[in-house]
Amino acid sequence: MTDTAIAHGPVVEKRRGEGLTAAALLTPATVFVAIALLAPLVILFRYSLNEFVPARKMMVEAVTIANYIKFFTDPYYTTILWTTVRIAVLVTAVCLVLGFPLAYVVARTQSRFKNLLIISIVLPLFVGNSVRAAGWMVVFGNKGFVNASLMGLGLIDKPFEIMFTEKAVIIGIIAVNLPFMVLSLQSVIEGIDRSVEEAAFSLGAPPATMFWRVLWPLALPGILAGTILTFILAMNAYATPFLLGGPLFKMMAPLIYNQFTQQTNWPFGGAIAFILMTVTLLLTVAANLIIQRRAAR
Amino acid sequence: MAQLDIIGLAKRYGDFHAVRDVSLSIKDGEFLVLLGPSGCGKTTTLRMVAGFIEPTAGHVTIGGTDVTVLPPWKRNAGMVFQNYALFPHLTVNENVAFGLQMRKLPKADIAKRVEETLALVRLSGYGGRLPRQLSGGQQQRVALARALAIHPDVLLLDEPLSNLDAKLRQEVRVEIRELQRKMGLTTVMVTHDQEEALTMADRLVVMSEGLVRQVGSQRDLYERPADRFVAGFVGRSTFLEGTLEAPGRFRTDGGLAVACAGDGAGRAVLSVRPERVAVGPSSVGGPNTGLDNSLPGTVEFVSYLGALIDIHVRLSPSDRMVAQIANRDGAFVPEVGQPIHVGWPASASQVFKE
Repeated sequence: MTDTAIAHGPVVEKRRGEGLTAAALLTPATVFVAIALLAPLVILFRYSLNEFVPARKMMVEAVTIANYIKFFTDPYYTTILWTTVRIAVLVTAVCLVLGFPLAYVVARTQSRFKNLLIISIVLPLFVGNSVRAAGWMVVFGNKGFVNASLMGLGLIDKPFEIMFTEKAVIIGIIAVNLPFMVLSLQSVIEGIDRSVEEAAFSLGAPPATMFWRVLWPLALPGILAGTILTFILAMNAYATPFLLGGPLFKMMAPLIYNQFTQQTNWPFGGAIAFILMTVTLLLTVAANLIIQRRAAR
Repeated sequence: MAQLDIIGLAKRYGDFHAVRDVSLSIKDGEFLVLLGPSGCGKTTTLRMVAGFIEPTAGHVTIGGTDVTVLPPWKRNAGMVFQNYALFPHLTVNENVAFGLQMRKLPKADIAKRVEETLALVRLSGYGGRLPRQLSGGQQQRVALARALAIHPDVLLLDEPLSNLDAKLRQEVRVEIRELQRKMGLTTVMVTHDQEEALTMADRLVVMSEGLVRQVGSQRDLYERPADRFVAGFVGRSTFLEGTLEAPGRFRTDGGLAVACAGDGAGRAVLSVRPERVAVGPSSVGGPNTGLDNSLPGTVEFVSYLGALIDIHVRLSPSDRMVAQIANRDGAFVPEVGQPIHVGWPASASQVFKE
């Protein structure tokens, strides 16, 4: 008996120590998330149920869903939500279509410049959104480099309207989001054995069939991660639509910012923020369910 | 099933010749093994037959049809990969059915063929499982079933047994061979394991540095190796460096005079199989022993292998010989440091000129 007790003693103590270490490791991140994310969300949600008195630009304590009703009944706001969803879906689809071949090549290359290739994909992210947008304004503006050159050469009479259009915003967000898509896909494709593709070929599958029957289902985790990431980033894009879209173009994130800062309408700003979050979440979950059911078929 | 012909096949990567001018003809139903050390070009050759690598020169014909420029999905060659390459997201049934679906067979026929093929590899009842729920040996059999199900013209095996443990390997070896014979499959297997090669093949091809060194039966390779490489790679040989002074007379660099079966003269190397060497406490030669050579030496090392015992004997400062003797009752087993005699018939040695 004594022997077993002695033998077990230190083991139990060690276990307890491990538990404490794990807790100690988890705590900082948990506390940080609680303070930095959950608390503001809870408070913001409470604000979104308050009333706003426009005359005095003041928030009044209340419990009402008037702000939410206001958003969904005014076509001005629903149009902005629709534009945002439409652009995010389009951007995500384009990123997937453009990103997959690139990710495949990067994942499969035997080149010793592979790391350089990955860095060059991430490189655009080193430039902040605002800096990039400002640069684009210089190059693509009506009096920018491209238009000035073309007009100077007499090739065109009127400047190409690139800046301050929806197209500019879409291209801008794609440029920002593509690296996230490529990296998500590349890491998963790298884990797919090349010989699995060869096995499909040897069994009589042409490349397109091989892609849909083998590569696509096996890359699905990366496709999901990439699309979720890209979609969320696009839904919440702020700097790109603000700077490249111009004053008349509206997406959700700039709208929220505007409500908070220009209108100082915190309750309505809070409501829009929650609408954006919920719509993003619902669409993401729905898309995942559809894609996964497809794959299971 | 069909005859497979490889004609002057070569593959070059920049300055590196992976395969140089390989020509082989594999008869309908024959089991051919490509044997060689890693990097000898055997896998590249197999992958060119499968269509994964485009040859720099040469042709591949299956059943008389030139398939050199056909992509792999149009070749009807069943391939078993070293790591099996099963589709991890598909069940065993779906894996085996894949090739049949590509051939657009009716559903009922596919189900029947899948069932038959799985029965053939003794995996009936495992159809609903995913590959990761199977043992290594079972996965290997699924890979084989998947390749067999399409009724391939040729079966290509790329080191199919190297990921199995030693005991399983011996079983699967026999199994694959029996299946292949029963189905009359034209088969090419690549391996670096000579025991595997010797037990399975109808005919062997020894390759090194992208070249075919020798093609022949087990006995051809073992008893009549074409060059020093084959003599050293297939089975074991002791090599004595020296000079062929006259037909039948070889002198080692250590100064030993040895009777041999070679013709001509000049720098050469003499190879002797360890199991053909006799050992004794005093001279083992003589008129009635059949041993043309009997040389004194000192035992340097004895390695006990159970049924066999290896005895390493120093004959001269630069000549060392290995004798392998059967561990029988009354066998003469010398100890390290003991002076003994070794002997072998001239016909047991081979001379390779340099």
